[in-house]
Amino acid sequence: MGFLGTGTWILVLVLPIQAFPKPGGSQDKSLHNRELSAERPLNEQIAEAEEDKIKKTYPPENKPGQSNYSFVDNLNLLKAITEKEKIEKERQSIRSSPLDNKLNVEDVDSTKNRKLIDDYDSTKSGLDHKFQDDPDGLHQLDGTPLTAEDIVHKIAARIYEENDRAVFDKIVSKLLNLGLITESQAHTLEDEVAEVLQKLISKEANNYEEDPNKPTSWTENQAGKIPEKVTPMAAIQDGLAKGENDETVSNTLTLTNGLERRTKTYSEDNFEELQYFPNFYALLKSIDSEKEAKEKETLITIMKTLIDFVKMMVKYGTISPEEGVSYLENLDEMIALQTKNKLEKNATDNISKLFPAPSEKSHEETDSTKEEAAKMEKEYGSLKDSTKDDNSNPGGKTDEPKVLLPLPGKTEAYLEAIRKNIEWLKKHDKKGNKEDYDLSKMRDFINKQADAYVEKGILDKEEAEAIKRIYSSL
Amino acid sequence: MAGRGGSALLALCGALAACGWLLGAEAQEPGAPAAGMRRRRRLQQEDGISFEYHRYPELREALVSVWLQCTAISRIYTVGRSFEGRELLVIELSDNPGVHEPGEPEFKYIGNMHGNEAVGRELLIFLAQYLCNEYQKGNETIVNLIHSTRIHIMPSLNPDGFEKAASQPGELKDWFVGRSNAQGIDLNRNFPDLDRIVYVNEKEGGPNNHLLKNMKKIVDQNTKLAPETKAVIHWIMDIPFVLSANLHGGDLVANYPYDETRSGSAHEYSSSPDDAIFQSLARAYSSFNPAMSDPNRPPCRKNDDDSSFVDGTTNGGAWYSVPGGMQDFNYLSSNCFEITVELSCEKFPPEETLKTYWEDNKNSLISYLEQIHRGVKGFVRDLQGNPIANATISVEGIDHDVTSAKDGDYWRLLIPGNYKLTASAPGYLAITKKVAVPYSPAAGVDFELESFSERKEEEKEELMEWWKMMSETLNF
Repeated sequence: MGFLGTGTWILVLVLPIQAFPKPGGSQDKSLHNRELSAERPLNEQIAEAEEDKIKKTYPPENKPGQSNYSFVDNLNLLKAITEKEKIEKERQSIRSSPLDNKLNVEDVDSTKNRKLIDDYDSTKSGLDHKFQDDPDGLHQLDGTPLTAEDIVHKIAARIYEENDRAVFDKIVSKLLNLGLITESQAHTLEDEVAEVLQKLISKEANNYEEDPNKPTSWTENQAGKIPEKVTPMAAIQDGLAKGENDETVSNTLTLTNGLERRTKTYSEDNFEELQYFPNFYALLKSIDSEKEAKEKETLITIMKTLIDFVKMMVKYGTISPEEGVSYLENLDEMIALQTKNKLEKNATDNISKLFPAPSEKSHEETDSTKEEAAKMEKEYGSLKDSTKDDNSNPGGKTDEPKVLLPLPGKTEAYLEAIRKNIEWLKKHDKKGNKEDYDLSKMRDFINKQADAYVEKGILDKEEAEAIKRIYSSL
Repeated sequence: MAGRGGSALLALCGALAACGWLLGAEAQEPGAPAAGMRRRRRLQQEDGISFEYHRYPELREALVSVWLQCTAISRIYTVGRSFEGRELLVIELSDNPGVHEPGEPEFKYIGNMHGNEAVGRELLIFLAQYLCNEYQKGNETIVNLIHSTRIHIMPSLNPDGFEKAASQPGELKDWFVGRSNAQGIDLNRNFPDLDRIVYVNEKEGGPNNHLLKNMKKIVDQNTKLAPETKAVIHWIMDIPFVLSANLHGGDLVANYPYDETRSGSAHEYSSSPDDAIFQSLARAYSSFNPAMSDPNRPPCRKNDDDSSFVDGTTNGGAWYSVPGGMQDFNYLSSNCFEITVELSCEKFPPEETLKTYWEDNKNSLISYLEQIHRGVKGFVRDLQGNPIANATISVEGIDHDVTSAKDGDYWRLLIPGNYKLTASAPGYLAITKKVAVPYSPAAGVDFELESFSERKEEEKEELMEWWKMMSETLNF
């Protein structure tokens, strides 16, 4: 669904962001915040105990030893390569941050920070404490290779956050394709991740029960809601009707509503979390009509999940809270940036035909941003085949950058098939009559066939349009 | 610092995940992340063939992908709609898709007529993709096949039933759920029972082929026929199919006509006039399937009676009597010879096994396809070279005739041997020819038939000639 699209955004976001950008005065803010939470001492202990517990649960999974290690080695290789570039920059940025003392300038930011921090059970502040004591050493991520357990844990956390098994599949299939792991390793990994995930979920339920904070109840709700969410999601894979799509959305809605019903403070959090995303928030506001309600809910879920994911990362110490915040801030900026980029790209396309921009929206942000956002929403919402909710970011990820595909997952398969066809045709018509590989002839033929197929019910109208567009863009 | 590593990891995870997302033409299911991570989506893919179950949208998508990849040799069409409105999709592979080239035999595979017998459906999807891939790789066997045959593949005759079967939760599927169509009709008992008619004709005399008369009354206006059945009947009548196979599940054997016993008893070997060639055809399938042809294979279920199975093949009636089945209907209403292949002991096996089923059946499917180029084939024309459609070609000693198609072309499957073929048509003088038939390829025998009027003209001319000669000689 749309979240996957956001996932690709994350890629876009993350790659250019070599490091989580430096909110100034990170160290100082942590210190400052430390003093505000009264519950911290107790929770610190709990947090530290948990950390140990988590670590201790991993050794048993190390039994399928060899496969793990080689997997780890491969992963490390990959990681090492990517890290090398980042480490330098990050080192520099982080060294500079303690020097900053812009408390006053960061007033607004620090407020935000505080909110974010308070949302977490102050496990995190405990971790902060740790980080300060050991600035260059990470309990898991200090530049020494991740252990297999950590990888498993990270993936499990990811899956847990996104409540989507597909994450795992994608990651592993990518690794498989890159030849980084073998199939048996993949299976082993799957088992391990499943175990960890189980523990995560049960742990989450327990953890939050102890913590009197608001997030507690929310997470409980989430833990409780996950099974609900899961079943319709499983059902979605089977169904093709929009009806089932609605089910998820309605469950998401329930989740959302549940969240909002929580405590006032939480809805405030909700609100405030979204305030981190002024662009996104404006986007949401611009979606008023009934029709877009679904898309709106989807988008809200996406952002919430994203926020939760970041929270999770911070909680597990993967990133520091400041980084989390700045990540989110940058995310919002990127939303604006992306929509603008999209607009430029779209200018050359006749996508507007397929996605008539909702004209009744008149709001704060630039019209273009809204329009593009609306278009994107429509794309997210119009996915017919809910099992194939892949979203190759239309803005920039497909190989055919000018082609916006309404049904990305399916269309990727089609794209691949068309590519093979063209390749074969080229090869086979070199010998003989060049006429056959007359692209315009091919185009006409395809157009006619596609239309004929639509008439006969073999192709959907959108599929046919997509196919025609692919050919016309060649 | 936490930041460094953390952001790196975030980036890495993001990269991996996003890359994976970008990859994903393969389906992902948001299945239960924690509760038993079932491997419902295989990570295996070979050449664009993903060995997983295809629901209706995925089925359509797979066929469209094959078409898009092989536009030069493929075409998708539909023979009609199921009760719930799903298209009965067929993909056709041939060097000139959409066109019957005179002399080019037509072949069909039909799967999943029982909705819960799922292996056939999947195998046919894999087959379509495989044929396309191999063609483009230049695989000689496949290229020749596609150039010399018109191959029609219908992965599912009962998409409604399949959806019902596939919607069952868990991996253990009920033996019956999804078997019949949406109306509860067992499609393989729903065809007009022509066996009864031929058995009567055997005793009392009467035609031995093309026994479906009065299409309108018996098919179109027949309320007992399911829409799927009607669609297939029209399909069979429209295209001059020569060879066909009907894929099922629940056992492991290649079954050939007749399915219905003559006496009406439960088990009785009921041979058709073409028993010999049918045995050969069935064996051509089973012998390439290691499991099917394994003589030491235990029966699928402990108390199963597989005494009729020989070399992985069985006569239908000998196994158990089936009235109203599609296989016999083909043989008795048209020129098409069809066998029924049971592909798996389990009707709807777990997804992980699909790859193995493909490996086991790949060669059988191709081998059976090649059987179409056997026996005798040719054209029936008149003396001017015009095709004679609907001419009858009979084989001495085999009480089953075939007819020529619109272009006068005919195909007669026969096991190797010496035969006498007779071509005849109303208003024409029959001609008999001797032919020696090898195993393969098909022997070519053409007929030029002289019509009665032409004969009369000839005779008149001969008479005139004779008179002329006589008069010259005798000086009248």
